[in-house]
Amino acid sequence: MMSKRLPGRPSSLRLPRPPAVALVCLGLFLLCCLFVPRFASFGNLENVLRVAAILCIVACGQAIVIILGGIEFSFGASVALASVVTVMALPAAGPIAGLAAGGATVIGVGAVNGWLVGRMGLPPVIATLGTLMIASGTAAWLVGGLPLDAPPSAAFSWPARGRVLGIPVPILAAMLACVVLHGLLAYGRIGRLWYHVGANPLAARLAGIDVARIILLGYAAAGAFCAVGAIILTSRVASGQPALAPNLPFETIAACAIGGLPLSGGRGHVLQVVFGVLTVAMLNNAVVLINLPVAWQLVLLGLAVLAAVGLQKDWAALKRLAGRATR
Amino acid sequence: MPASDEALLATGIAKTYGATCALRDARLALRRGRVHALLGENGAGKSTLVKILVGAVTPDSGRLELGGVPAAFGSVTQAIRAGIVPIHQHLSLFPELSVHENLSAFALSGGGGLWAGRRLVDPSRARGWLAEVGLEVDLAAPLGTLSLGERQLVEVARALSLDCRVLVLDEPTAALNAGEADRLFAVVRRLCANGTAALFISHRFDEIEALADDVTVLRDGRTVIDAAPIGRHSRETLTHAMLGAGVEAGPERLCARAEPVLAGRGFAGRGDTDITVHAGEIVGLAGLIGSGALALAAWLAGAQAGAGELSVAGHGFTPGDRRRAAALGIAYVPADRHVEGLFAPLSARRNVSISALGRFARLGWLRTSEEAERIDPLLRRLKLHPSRPEAEAATFSGGNQQKLLIARCLALPGLKAMVLLEPTRGVDVAARGVIHDAIREAAASGVAVLVATSDLDELMVLAHRYLVVRDNRLAAELPQDAPRAALLSALSGSIAA
Repeated sequence: MMSKRLPGRPSSLRLPRPPAVALVCLGLFLLCCLFVPRFASFGNLENVLRVAAILCIVACGQAIVIILGGIEFSFGASVALASVVTVMALPAAGPIAGLAAGGATVIGVGAVNGWLVGRMGLPPVIATLGTLMIASGTAAWLVGGLPLDAPPSAAFSWPARGRVLGIPVPILAAMLACVVLHGLLAYGRIGRLWYHVGANPLAARLAGIDVARIILLGYAAAGAFCAVGAIILTSRVASGQPALAPNLPFETIAACAIGGLPLSGGRGHVLQVVFGVLTVAMLNNAVVLINLPVAWQLVLLGLAVLAAVGLQKDWAALKRLAGRATR
Repeated sequence: MPASDEALLATGIAKTYGATCALRDARLALRRGRVHALLGENGAGKSTLVKILVGAVTPDSGRLELGGVPAAFGSVTQAIRAGIVPIHQHLSLFPELSVHENLSAFALSGGGGLWAGRRLVDPSRARGWLAEVGLEVDLAAPLGTLSLGERQLVEVARALSLDCRVLVLDEPTAALNAGEADRLFAVVRRLCANGTAALFISHRFDEIEALADDVTVLRDGRTVIDAAPIGRHSRETLTHAMLGAGVEAGPERLCARAEPVLAGRGFAGRGDTDITVHAGEIVGLAGLIGSGALALAAWLAGAQAGAGELSVAGHGFTPGDRRRAAALGIAYVPADRHVEGLFAPLSARRNVSISALGRFARLGWLRTSEEAERIDPLLRRLKLHPSRPEAEAATFSGGNQQKLLIARCLALPGLKAMVLLEPTRGVDVAARGVIHDAIREAAASGVAVLVATSDLDELMVLAHRYLVVRDNRLAAELPQDAPRAALLSALSGSIAA
């Protein structure tokens, strides 16, 4: 007798069933609506999405690196460096070229990481920690330690404050980032190879794949996503800050982990990233609205990561037990 | 059977995992002083039954008796305490610790918590156990400095630290060469002479005939031959019992030799190693472990760097440039499926299509429907079971995972040569037949095939000629109709059997 559920699990691109993170995210949303004052207002929800947008774009990049079996710590520092580069380039190059220069900086840092990990064979933690420190130090050195203000201009503030068809640009950009990431992962040749390299780099090499190149392109693509986030963030703060987003790598890793991406690589779906990001953004927002000290954001985030990863493990075990009990 | 010499009796054992029924009604009766072989193709329930015996898995139903007394084990530790000691195919020792510390692991595993690791068993007892397995090594030597065969003997010696009543040997020879295996067998026989019962799991008939007294065959979760003396059954009847189907025939003769396809010269910096594989030919590369046969095959496929010149169909490539070799049409199946071959979290289809992604890509975008159309028929041809191309590779049995690697070879665009290392290691008889058929079909269509395997049975049914590797060089070439004895003596060098 065959049961309705056939043996075997879905492939890497399909969502795990049930999408645990989606339920957690929905549950958290309902809790916040019921118990957090002023959470369920239109203005606040738009604000949550606005914050989530930047996190989402950068988390898309982090997801690529995690699927590759790596991890990326340098995002925060390279975003800070990008803001400094942008503001320093503004007087000479104008807002568009300035922001582009900042974005290019982030892609460059990503490519260096990819080169260090792929060609030089350094462990991702060490490689990205090294570039984190170099980028962070360079940013502080360039501005002498103090934030550098940007002259106000409409073009410069458009990425953060502009609207298209009434929708804020950051939210549109995040939606676009998700679509692009999904396209790459599901239909891109390079995206397919990221899964292969993440699942088993040695097997990929023996199958005739240029593993170093795939890794380099992966980190560079991750840098490209992060670059979009850097442009929006620089536009929002309108200044070059050497300590702009120190928690960005940790928040993006947390979002991916909460979303259910295994850090061992080879698996991951864009919706997992989206729900993970929304969960993180709602938690951060709720902390502010309940009037808890902002420092609690990190404490809660840490707890959420541990709980999410722990629960995912337990759920797998529970499912197995349930499967046995019903037979 | 008299109860007095009954060591272990398992009856009516059943076990299901989710929707999969691993064991329906298994029976296993081991007698003291006898080696008992357990046979069955992958998926027959062999490994589940072994896991139940050693306490790693609890059965859904059935009865377990140890020496006539009902027994139930909640953990491997409990089973070991009761005298059922597993010797694993993946060694369960600690390479960084000394021989002495490894031997002490069982004796001291009760209590003491964190500090137990500092205590050791009496050296004279430890030496006594080593002497019993015929091993002369320094107790203080780190285990990692011993050969694999010696380590396995240390594992057996460790079993002596307990009142070992049943020794469970799960493919113990997978990593051993012939000499080491013989030594292990001698030790097992000696232990059995003292009244221990041994359960021996192996895919190799040679070994089973050499070592076992009795045999039990599982098929589809049921015992189909129950504790019969091994002499009562021929290989054919045993295979028939395992499969419930026909047996594989030998290779067809090659009519004429076609043009050379895969060529290599100067392996490991030696001028005298010159190897050529022709179109349509299956060359069997034989060698004991450590002979360099696997390394030579990997080198030919561009998977291993080193000195020498390589070419396929007249196009040269650098040793170690696997990417170029694949682009030139050399498919490759590495020896270690899990470490070097499989993408466990990816679907079966993706595991295969990796070698042919260029076929489905237009400007860097994949046409996934075309991918399915091209790859799925290949999976059907290789009888992938269950027939679910979307399922994760990790969920398939070893034999079906190996089919994925073979399919990956067959999918390679412009396939000219296949280099297969241990293509059916740890694979059940049914999958083995399917894989052999696929190899023969590929050769028949003009592909040059090199099979490197330590499995003589496999060579004899596949190869059109044999090349024997000893000490990193080609030592002999033998024709298709060479007798087994000639092959064996060529393998072992001057010390002919």
